[in-house]
Order: sequence, then C-alpha cells, then structure tokens
Amino acid sequence: MERVAVVGGGLAGFVAYLTLLRGGLDPEEIVVFGTDPDPAAAWRRRAAAIRQTHMRSESDGHCLPSSFPGLAVREARRRRSIVPLARSVCDRYHATVPDFLEHVEELRVSSGWSPRPARIERIAPVDGGFELDGFGTFRRVLLATGHSGIATPEELRDDPRAVHSYEPHDYADSVCVVGAGLAAATEWLNALAGGSTVISVRRREPVRRPLNVPRPYLTRRGLASFHRSPPERRAAALRELLAPSYPPGKSWDEPLAHAADAGRFRVEAAVNGADQVVCATGFVRGYGNDPLLRRLVEEHGLETADGRLVLAADSTVPSLTDETRTLAVAGVAAQMAYPAADTLAGARYAAHSFLRRCRTR
Amino acid sequence: MSYTLRGRLESRFAALALPLAAACLVAAALGEWWPVGLAAAMLAVAVGIDLVYHPLLRYQPGWAALPLGLLELGVVMAVVLGYGTQAPLVVALGLFAAAWVCAQLLGHALLPFWRLSYAEDGGELGRRGGALAAAAVAAPLAAAGGLWYAHLPPVVHLAAGVHQGPLVIDRREKLVGDAGAVVRGGIVVAHKNVEISHVTVVGGVNGITVDGMRGVVLDHVTVIRPQLDGIHVRGQAITIKHCNVDMRGVPYGQGIDISYNMDTGETMVSHCTVVGGQEGIVTHSSSAMLEHNRVERTTMRGISMTEMSMGGVMHNTVRDAKGIGILCGDHSMCMIDRNDVAGTRVDTVGGDRERAGYGLVVEFGADADLGRNDLIDNPATLGVFVGSLVHWQH
Repeated sequence: MERVAVVGGGLAGFVAYLTLLRGGLDPEEIVVFGTDPDPAAAWRRRAAAIRQTHMRSESDGHCLPSSFPGLAVREARRRRSIVPLARSVCDRYHATVPDFLEHVEELRVSSGWSPRPARIERIAPVDGGFELDGFGTFRRVLLATGHSGIATPEELRDDPRAVHSYEPHDYADSVCVVGAGLAAATEWLNALAGGSTVISVRRREPVRRPLNVPRPYLTRRGLASFHRSPPERRAAALRELLAPSYPPGKSWDEPLAHAADAGRFRVEAAVNGADQVVCATGFVRGYGNDPLLRRLVEEHGLETADGRLVLAADSTVPSLTDETRTLAVAGVAAQMAYPAADTLAGARYAAHSFLRRCRTR
Repeated sequence: MSYTLRGRLESRFAALALPLAAACLVAAALGEWWPVGLAAAMLAVAVGIDLVYHPLLRYQPGWAALPLGLLELGVVMAVVLGYGTQAPLVVALGLFAAAWVCAQLLGHALLPFWRLSYAEDGGELGRRGGALAAAAVAAPLAAAGGLWYAHLPPVVHLAAGVHQGPLVIDRREKLVGDAGAVVRGGIVVAHKNVEISHVTVVGGVNGITVDGMRGVVLDHVTVIRPQLDGIHVRGQAITIKHCNVDMRGVPYGQGIDISYNMDTGETMVSHCTVVGGQEGIVTHSSSAMLEHNRVERTTMRGISMTEMSMGGVMHNTVRDAKGIGILCGDHSMCMIDRNDVAGTRVDTVGGDRERAGYGLVVEFGADADLGRNDLIDNPATLGVFVGSLVHWQH
C-alpha cells in the first residue's frame, strides 16, 4: 500500500507535498493526483484576471512548509537589503505576484513535484485506508480539491455585459463592480486606472483588515474557542469572519477618494446601465458544489453545517479517521477547522496537521 | 504573532536559555554573582511581564518587540537597583541587549524554521520543545546553584578554650566559635567575604580589624578590653550584628569604629551592646545604618555619625554617656529616630558648650532629620551648633 495521497494539485496540495517532504517522507511514499503540472495554474489565472500585483498575505505568503524563511528573506538576499526583513517584521511586507510565482516554480522544480494526472471522483473507505477511484489504496489521504467554481449572481447569469472578475477581461467606459472583497477593490482601482467610471454595487460595506480573517484566528489562541464551538456556531462565526474585506491603507483609499471627487466612482444599491458588469463575487461555496466531497458526504453521512463539511480541529474528517487511517481536508473546504483555510497559511495549517498523522506509522 | 500564554512562556524560556548560560559562565569566570542575579532578574521580570502582556496583547506585531523591550529593560533595571545587585551598567545593558537580539532571532527565524507549526501554535514548542526550553532555563540556574553551593566558604570551627592570637584570616571562610572559644590578642580579617560568629576576642591592639575587605559579616562576636578599638573597620562596608563590646578600662578606644567606606555600600550595625570607651559606635565618612544597639558609659559620645557620613541612627538606647548622647556632626546627613537617650552627664573639662550633657547634638554644618527620640532624662535635650540644620519629621 502506498502510504500517502494528496488529492488536488493546486497550491494547497503543493504546500502539503512540500510539508510531507520536509517532514521526512520519501517522494516515493507520496502520490499527488492533479490535472495540471503547474500547482499555481488556477491561482495564476485568477491573479492575472484581476491584475493583482502584490500578495495580500504578509510574510506567510509562500508555499514553504515553515513560515520562515519566506519571500522577504529571499528578496532581502537578492537585493542585499534588510528593508524587506524590516517590512516583514512590521507586517508591511507583501511579495509581488511575479516573485511569488517564480518561487513556486523554483520549488516545483527542486521538489520533484510530479502529480499523477487524474481527477479523483470517488473515495471509498476500506480497512486501514481509502481506495481512490481505482488508483490504489492509501492509509493517509488529504483532499485539497480547491474552489468548486466561480460564483455569479443569478440575475446576471444571462446578462451579456457581465463578466466574472476571475475571467480575463478589459474595461468598458463605465464599469459596475459587484462585490466588496479584495477582488472587487482591485477591480475598482484597475478600472479607474484604465480610465473607466466605476460603480460599486455591494450588499454590505466591506470590512477593512489586513488579512482575510482577524489575526488571532491564524493561531491556536483564536482557534481554541472556535474549535470548542459546536458546528452551527462555527458556521455562524464563519459567516461573520469571511465577510468581504480588503486591507486598509492610503494606496486603496486615495485613488477612490480622488475618483469620487471627480465623479468617476460611486456606490449604488443595484446594477444600473453601466457598459460592463464585473462580478467580483468570488466562488461558489459549500461541499455541494464539489462532486468528490458531495459524494463523500452522501455516501457516508458525514456531518455538515450550513453547507460546510464539519471537520476536527486538525482538519480531519472525524468519522473516517482513526488510528489506522486518515482522511483530511485542505483548502477552502477545510474552513470549519481553520477559517482562513483558503489561504497559504491555511494550506500550511492543514499540511502540518496531516504530517503529524503521517508520522504515526 | 498571537501568542498563547503557554507559547509566550515557552518562547521566552527558549530565548533566555542562552543568556542565562552565558551569565553563569561569566559568573564562574569572574567569581562574581551579579551576572546570575542579573539573569535571574531578567527571567523573573520576563515571566511576570508576560503574564501581564497576555490578556492585553491578542496580537503582538514584530515591531512591538522594540517598545516592549525598552519597557522591560526599565523594569529589569528597577528590580536590579531595588535589590542592590552590583552589576556594571555597560555589561548589564550588553547582556540585556544580547538577550533581546537572541529572542528576536529565535522568535522570527529559528523557532519558526525548526518547528513547522510554531506560528499557528501561538509560539508553543510542543511537548518536547516546551520541556527542552524549560530544561534549558533550569539547567543554567541549577548549575549556578551548584556553583554557588560548591563555592560556599569552608566552615572552620574554633574549639572551646583560649587560642593565642592575633588570628589572621587570609582566606574566605566562615569562622564559627564553639561555646567558650576565645581568641586572645585580636583577629585581623585579611580576606573578603569572611564571616565570624560566636567568637570572643580578648585584648589585641584592636579586637577585630577589618581593613579594606568587603563582604565581611560579624555575628554574635564579643570583644573584651582591646588596647584601642573594639571593632575597627576601614574602607569597606560591613555587617555587624548581635555583638558585645566591653571597653571598660580602655580610655582612648572606640567600641565600633567604621571609617571611610562611603562609596562601598551601606554598613549595618544592629543589636550590638557597647559598654565604655570614648565613643560607643562611630562612623567617619561612611554610609551606615545603626539600629537597635545599646551603648553605655562612654567618655566622649555614645553614638557618633560624623565627617560627612550619611545614614540612620534608629531605635538605639544610650545610657550614661559623658558629654553627648548622640552626635550628628561635621556635614553629615543623619536620620535620627526612635532613640532613647538618658543619663547623659555634663563634661566640664575644657568648657566645651556642646558637651553640656545633651541627649542629641547636631553640629558643624550637619543636616539631621529628627523623628521621635526620647531625650527627656538628660541635662540638656537637643543642641544645634555651627550652621547645622534640623528637620522635624513628626
């Protein structure tokens, strides 16, 4: 029996793979199932679509298994300057997207990352492991299936003006941006920079915070009470924690203020007659949109809450995990274990927990 | 980092392990204890301040280490000064700075690199890591304790009976007299950190001489009829407690004479009894606390604090002193409180007005804070002469 499988060849799967290697597993012991040899393929497309230039993550925004040394150290070495390190210590370091992608590529090459090209459709628990869709049986399986698809508001599905922010697009003279998160904010600035007039349509005012979730929720301190809560309360907490947000700061506020003064930026309650509608509405949410997870829940009656898979604190599926086998989840589907699961820090959290399980030989 | 309390403490222990070890090595190399005292103060302050930080700082950005470090430095300095740890300032600051840098390197780089989940665990080091950190702190402290124990001075027992002196103590030791142990001809302390207890000294030029030796303790010593001073101390602070000095028949000697130690710390003389002699207890240019002593039948002054001395004269009893009971003289600064002076006699020889049997005299530019002293049963209670100042505390 091969010991460990990672289902999903995106960034969460890649972080898990690197973590397992760092944890002492041989590459031969790990099988990664993915559809693209580039772990950053999906992320790259989305970042390019919204013209993202810098990572929102701070020093943790990289794929290495430990938070140090990150991209700040790499840039400091390259520039022979301590400025990136100082910015990192002050929570002001944001790597550029090209630097991040270049680093991913370096790691991909050096780590021997070579996913088995396959899409796993079904996972069957067997004695001492899991059978993966005819690809063999594994004692430890990490599901890192990623986002299930982009979310477009129902009323805009057939609107010919509508484009999702994560799809390639240019800007018309007047652009209505639906949404209030980081993608929406990025679209506001990009469209304004491109000379467009921007109308922001949002259901709620965006939260202004540096990271996706308040910082204590990135560590055991904030997670302890989250993990102690029953699933329904955790799900309710997630609705609050994951409300649309983007970082505070002049680089965001000043262009918007100037544009508002010039009559080129305003907030409205509903989509109006703009030339173009950009849906910065993120991804569809919940296990039901992921065929693999949906089947797993249906076939094994797994506990769910508010459309999310209920997980143990270490990101494992409680009813399918015991001393002999482990089924764990990484990425966005693991938010019931780690609210920021769809970030690189979240991928690292799931990978660390999974590694601890894998070390129990 | 959002530290958990455990994570904060474990990270702290890990960061302090190296400075503690360094402090122990420095202590061993120098044969001094202040590096260990300093490191222990840093550890105690760190743990105490971490308990305060924890509820206040749900998230501690990296830059906060600078202001928090300065705050911590202030608290450590206050503790060190409060406890009177004699650490050279530059070395102490250097040790603190090294510990701070060490903590930053560990917290930002080494621990996150070594322990994959360091950040998400809120600084916790895991079962093994936590134990290791605690052990790393405990080991130097235990080593320091062991070193301290190993370096305790040897205890030398002086057998009962008369030993012909003068006895010169030229190594660090604790000399303990058995009941009835007597040294005839005086004791000379010629090494630092000597402790003498339960020994009776008879005769000698001075009963016990301590010249320039620091850290000397005289406890339960008895001195009988030396040629000059009973206990003669020069140039260093000393601790004298529970002593008896019999100066009867010694016209020119002082019972306890402590001189010229102003910059060496504070001398303590307590619970001693001096009978006879010119002056019972006298300090010249010294910093001293004289308290709970009894002085009787002196021929010049009972207790004197003079020649720019500084200190306190408290809770002492002076009886039958000739001329002056207690003197604060010659630009000294004295706190004189709760003393009981009675039976002072007028000294008519020489016509000195100051020696008119005053219970308390402040003279020649001295500055005295006076509390509640009982001076009633004397020919004169208080005399203030020649540009002196008196402040009443009650």
